[in-house]
Amino acid sequence: MSDTQFTDVSVSRKKFNREIREFRRMSDQYLLRGWLLAHVKFPIVRVIFATSKTNPVMILCGVSFDYTNYDAVPPSVRLVHPITGIPYKSSEMPTFLPRFVQKSDANVEPIELEEQRLMQHRGGDDVPFLCLAGVREYHEHPAHSGDSWELHRPLGAGRLVRLIQIISKYGLDTVNGYTVNMIPQLQLNFVPQPE
Amino acid sequence: MKTSGIEITVVVNGEPVQTKIDVNDPISKIVEEVLEKTGNTGQPAKDWEIRDASGNIVDLDKTAVALDLKPGATLYLSLKAGIGGS
Repeated sequence: MSDTQFTDVSVSRKKFNREIREFRRMSDQYLLRGWLLAHVKFPIVRVIFATSKTNPVMILCGVSFDYTNYDAVPPSVRLVHPITGIPYKSSEMPTFLPRFVQKSDANVEPIELEEQRLMQHRGGDDVPFLCLAGVREYHEHPAHSGDSWELHRPLGAGRLVRLIQIISKYGLDTVNGYTVNMIPQLQLNFVPQPE
Repeated sequence: MKTSGIEITVVVNGEPVQTKIDVNDPISKIVEEVLEKTGNTGQPAKDWEIRDASGNIVDLDKTAVALDLKPGATLYLSLKAGIGGS
């Protein structure tokens, strides 16, 4: 458990357990979506995303949710190695969860879309975070100081399944197959000459 | 009292809620009723999205009959992503 726990741990643990219990209650349905509960140890839960639409099935990534001090603060969300649980650095990310939104001058025709990445990082090769209301790093960022967690908490913005659904929508659900790249190579065959 | 009602489960942000619906009502009405029932009235219904068991978005204008929803069916209602990213 994180040593920065300041909320009554029994409260955080109770709310964490509720998230896990509710996931498990519908786990058969979630399995069909490719969502697997891989690791649960308060305050961390790791979910693996598997591509149910491909054959063979492939693991896209893991996602780690840290519910330390929940719900006084929202959970922290990172994409992680599905087996080790080690957070992906920016250069290792399998996806940045892109979505397409209208450009700010939406009244101009034709309407133009621009790519927006939900996984954001501060620079270099650091570990990206899910930049979304309901996620700790979003609300801690100075640019979102007017959009406090307290406005979103009652709506369930930090609920486990809600966050999984969003990550799935912009990540897992967008996978619809494989691409195999074959690179032809020319190689000289040397036949040793007899002495 | 609903005369053509069936009972379904709506999972609201992960929390299963049993509810009786009129099969001739549009899904939008069912969404509003479930949000009211669960106390999730801070955001309008348009900020939520509802999916079927396969993860497909459900058309809010369609009725349960049109979607062929059977008793015991499950729908998934989650708050949309909203503002975020860059």
